[in-house]
Amino acid sequence: MSEPLRLHPLAIIFNFLKVIREGIIPIVIGLFSFRNEALIYVLLIGSGIALLLVIYSILSWYRYTYRVEDEELRIEYGILIRKKRYISKNRIQSIDLTQSVLHRIFKLVKVQVETAGSGTSAEASLSAVKLSDGEKLRSKLKGAKPSQLANDEEVEEVTTDSTELVQPTHKITFKRLFIAGSTSGSIGILLAIFVVFFSELEQFIPESFYDQTINWMIGLSILFLIGLIVSLLLVLWLLGIAGTMIKYGNFTITRNNDELFITRGLLEKKQITIPLKRIQAVGIGESIIRQPLGYVTVFAEVAGGTIDKGEDYSTVLFPIMKTNEVHDFLKDLLPDYVPVSKDLHRLPKRSLIFYLFRSSFLMLIALGVVSYFFLEYSWIPLLLLLVSIGLGWLRHHDSGYRINGDQLTIRYRAVNRITMMLFHKRIQAFEKTQHKIQKTQSLATLQFSIIGKLGVGKHYKIKDLEEETVNDLSEWYSLREKS
Amino acid sequence: MRQPPINRIAKDAIKAWKISAMLSVGILWIISIAIGIVSFLYDWSHVFWVIGIILSAVCTYIFVFLVPKLRWRRWRYEVFEQEIYIQHGILIVSRTLVPMIRVQHVDTKQGPILKKFQLASVTISTAATTHEIPALLEEDASDLRDKISALARVDDDDV
Repeated sequence: MSEPLRLHPLAIIFNFLKVIREGIIPIVIGLFSFRNEALIYVLLIGSGIALLLVIYSILSWYRYTYRVEDEELRIEYGILIRKKRYISKNRIQSIDLTQSVLHRIFKLVKVQVETAGSGTSAEASLSAVKLSDGEKLRSKLKGAKPSQLANDEEVEEVTTDSTELVQPTHKITFKRLFIAGSTSGSIGILLAIFVVFFSELEQFIPESFYDQTINWMIGLSILFLIGLIVSLLLVLWLLGIAGTMIKYGNFTITRNNDELFITRGLLEKKQITIPLKRIQAVGIGESIIRQPLGYVTVFAEVAGGTIDKGEDYSTVLFPIMKTNEVHDFLKDLLPDYVPVSKDLHRLPKRSLIFYLFRSSFLMLIALGVVSYFFLEYSWIPLLLLLVSIGLGWLRHHDSGYRINGDQLTIRYRAVNRITMMLFHKRIQAFEKTQHKIQKTQSLATLQFSIIGKLGVGKHYKIKDLEEETVNDLSEWYSLREKS
Repeated sequence: MRQPPINRIAKDAIKAWKISAMLSVGILWIISIAIGIVSFLYDWSHVFWVIGIILSAVCTYIFVFLVPKLRWRRWRYEVFEQEIYIQHGILIVSRTLVPMIRVQHVDTKQGPILKKFQLASVTISTAATTHEIPALLEEDASDLRDKISALARVDDDDV
């Protein structure tokens, strides 16, 4: 692959579409504002611009070449100003392959090459190359990899048969995917709307329903409204399921020596590479809906990385699994991390009052204000107050920590319960904070920071731990010779 | 973290902080006085400028006379071979440990106010956080910077 290669010609269209997509709003505005008089000119100018864009897209495709030479990926591009970008092979952290629906029709793939540098976009992005070329490029730059994007069935057979011992693989089942979809975040919001809606309903149905016969019609329309809303919610819920299915369909995670490979997506296929040494922490998330059902999400905090990977802030290692499967999952893929969530050290009882106060004082104020001005609606903040007190209690109940050699495990809850596992060497700074009231109770807050996405720090806090505990933890963290 | 760090920052820090606080509070005074003048010219209610003046006076007392002294009293630091230990905060006391091997770079900084008192601040950055030791004597600051940067030059296996 030493002679310079061009992208697949379809890249011209991708390029063109991208420019159009970015400029669609001015175009539409232009069309609308000159609808009558000068439309012909606008169309003329518009088609002129379009023509220029086409020429630009073709030229930039023509000038964009890549090749692998001297252990380097060499990209040359630019129409008027020639730019050359050489990326040395051993600086490359990950090579991600993505296929949109369009890519898949033409058996193409988008290749994104990333180095350790933190930025918002990948260091090199080849928008469309032949699938086989993409695979070849990757194996040239990284050595042999399991090729799950290429002809699905056969290769998967091979990987499960011959390399199972070497490359532990976990794949999501359809049933799990369905559960993941039906318990995804959006359902929580829907449920809340539901509850509020029905409690509202009780209030005004009796009068309008039974008292006057004329209002029977209104009652009917209310019924109709309820039906409409219920079906709307149902549609939203189904959309949530569909969204999850499309995003996480065929989710497969494989470990290959010192890298994790994730392939996912029903329509748009994505393959993500995560070098193990860039994983800063592994987390287990239990959303408030999934926790009672015993389902969790496993995710990782990965240093660096780019936003355009389309990931959220944390990288999902597996969208859904049973709590008791986490142990084996981690043992297969990340054997360094040991889940010890069962026997965590909890918070002292006397810090409960802090948690309750913190979670409920805004609602208390709201309750005061609302019941002063609109007494008849004071049940709304009252309900919210109860919810926030419950949440405060849960936060206190769930928070905890444990030290296992070099591994620190902490658990906390904002709404969802999160358990984070991380190693001593990943903690960048350790902080103990204590305000006056905490001091009287000899409580303290622990905070530590790790490297997050895009090189921005990510901070974790456990509030109102026993002060002695924080001191002990600081001794665990301190590298000073203990005297 | 049972014992606080031992080193205090330069005593002149109080003066420097006072000056910068005065500059900020000065804006409040100017606004209050401006409201006062306008009130007299256009016969507005006197409530506003009186409130403004009171507010300015209270802020002046708190931020110019009280806070710098308390802040200085709390500020401590200590540099060990393996880590940096910092304490600061008036109402919320915070003690921070930064291991040397996590330090990415150290800067010294000096604005016009600090320069007047021959002070400088030292900023310590890790990959995830930054920590500032404000207002050390110039030579102390550059010594500290060199010391930390020398100690931080430990090979780290990853990241």
